[in-house]
Amino acid sequence: MNFTVVNKHICVDNIRITGVSSSSVFLVGDTDSITLSSVFDTPAESLIIGPFVPLARS
Amino acid sequence: MFKRTSSVKTISVTDVSIGSVFEIGDSCHVKPRSKALAVQREYELFFGDEGNFEAFPIFTKPIPKPIIDEYVNFKKYNESSFIQVNNIDVISCSASGVLHIGSTKTIDAESRVKHIRQLQEDSDKNGKRNDSLSSE
Repeated sequence: MNFTVVNKHICVDNIRITGVSSSSVFLVGDTDSITLSSVFDTPAESLIIGPFVPLARS
Repeated sequence: MFKRTSSVKTISVTDVSIGSVFEIGDSCHVKPRSKALAVQREYELFFGDEGNFEAFPIFTKPIPKPIIDEYVNFKKYNESSFIQVNNIDVISCSASGVLHIGSTKTIDAESRVKHIRQLQEDSDKNGKRNDSLSSE
């Protein structure tokens, strides 16, 4: 596959960002590769109803 | 081919937290990692030393990455050698977030969050609260 990019002049006035979160990227520049992974686990078992037991200690 | 230069006149960042990166200038590899146990309890009862990432496989399981086996003939022409931005306002950068002014080669970020909610049993609650729940 041939992939050609021509970068012409780019000029941006204003950028307003509230949050860059959970393996996200805000890049002003060039890069060859970006790999972003995010795991968020909130399964049914994570809802514990009962007396407050502390989590396992290390 | 010359590298492009990023030119930012003003930038304002309020908060960079939990394994995040704010880089001004060129870099080679950026590889942030973050792990979080997000525990919510019905009332505030927390113990300073609790929590063990090894008890949950989500923190150790390898995350599958896409396999790229196709050859890409990539050509890039920089007609202008500047990327100009006048003003940037960022409130927060969190959980393996990356703010990067300048060029880099690779970015590889990973964030793992385990959410646990703990609620009281109905019998543990005081009378008024219990009534409203049982009437539902």
